[in-house]
Amino acid sequence: MNLSRDENLNGGPTPRRAELRDIRDEDLIVMVQEGHKKAFDELVARYKGRLFSFILRMVKDPNLAEELTQETLIRVYIHAAKYREIAKFSTWVFTIATNLVRNKMRQRSRRPWMVSLNPAPEDDEIPVDPPDTVADPSESIQREELADLISEATSRIPEKYRIPFLLREVDQLSYEEIQQVTGLKLGTVRSRINRARNRFRQLIKPMLKNETLLLELERIEARAAEEKDNDF
Amino acid sequence: MRCHKAMDYISQEMDEHLPPDVTVDLTRHLDSCSECRDYRRDLLLASRAIGATAPELPENFEWKLQLKLNQTLQQAAGETFYPWDEADHDKWRWFRNFGAAAAVGMAAVLALAMFLGPVGETGDRGSASDRNGMIATVGTESSNAGSSDRLPLGSRQQFRGGLYNSGIQRPVSLGGMSVTGDGLFDRGWSGHNVEDLQTIQKLRSLNSQLNQQLFLQQRIIQGMEAHLDTLGASALDLEQE
Repeated sequence: MNLSRDENLNGGPTPRRAELRDIRDEDLIVMVQEGHKKAFDELVARYKGRLFSFILRMVKDPNLAEELTQETLIRVYIHAAKYREIAKFSTWVFTIATNLVRNKMRQRSRRPWMVSLNPAPEDDEIPVDPPDTVADPSESIQREELADLISEATSRIPEKYRIPFLLREVDQLSYEEIQQVTGLKLGTVRSRINRARNRFRQLIKPMLKNETLLLELERIEARAAEEKDNDF
Repeated sequence: MRCHKAMDYISQEMDEHLPPDVTVDLTRHLDSCSECRDYRRDLLLASRAIGATAPELPENFEWKLQLKLNQTLQQAAGETFYPWDEADHDKWRWFRNFGAAAAVGMAAVLALAMFLGPVGETGDRGSASDRNGMIATVGTESSNAGSSDRLPLGSRQQFRGGLYNSGIQRPVSLGGMSVTGDGLFDRGWSGHNVEDLQTIQKLRSLNSQLNQQLFLQQRIIQGMEAHLDTLGASALDLEQE
């Protein structure tokens, strides 16, 4: 992205992209506040994937997820001046994203004709061994199918458990950060993550016993590690 | 340690949130409990599966973000209208709004051109008696003017009444033929004489009247359009015509 047309508003030297990679998020947002727009490019590069992943698993609609990811990053840019380093930058970003997702889901729930025919169970309604369409997955299952299974299972976790669960599993936020994002108590965060993990395990249990699928998972991880090495 | 408690601790242990002494207890429990070991293995696998299947962003994500950010910044700066937004939207609207008014205006201009054109160009219109049964009389002043196409100078006749309703009493010359009348219909003008100046004033007055009529017609058209909109009916599709 090229947001650097009128960069360097305060006349300071603009660091190169490679130099920006070593800078903390909190320092980058301070640079954005000072007018270094390449710092915002770097923040976008760091957070776009994590945000999209979190939001998509919350709303389950790729177009809406993309829109909300863009909206989150735009809000970061527009309201950059409001950020103070009393919290980590990631906490601030995911608070914005979580609020946007919650608002959107609230709007959806107000429209009775948009109610899903297969809604997420509210509380302790999930059976220990739920009937699952993935009980006998094909051996030729590919990454997309695996992703679909994970996405489907994630969407069946109740929202109040799903948010801390995804913030932890997808975005690797600490319990304290999740506490700040969600406004929950630390003990509640811990117990909700634990419950969500247990439910997620129940939902993907058939998949976890499938050797082919586990091999596919290992292949994906190996490929990802290779790509990461190539990036550096 | 009971399995229920151990399962609770396993989650915290995965997140490195378990105190060291409890971690030791948990390890001891896991060594002796295959069910909890399987549970821990499943949680770790599930966590890996989530990490490995992170969705990919659309390729043009950054381009769209750039565009959206630019729009947001422009809107924040007060530029809320984008000309391309409605470029092709309702392209006949201008015609419905102004077409009828323009037609009225054109008709008025044509009428004026026809009635008030230079006398020399009206010579082939035929005799005045052929037109609307007007009485054509040869006056003394026309003979003074000779074969001139111009309005005789020093006309003592004053205009009476409106342009169209006034009686035709003054002799004028049209292409060598004299007709009588004091309306502008029959009179040519050169723009140099006093009477011509009066004619110009009359024309201006007429012009302002027509403008007023035009304005009223536009208001009526707007009112009718608003009424149509209220009824939910659409205006004529001129494209189909």
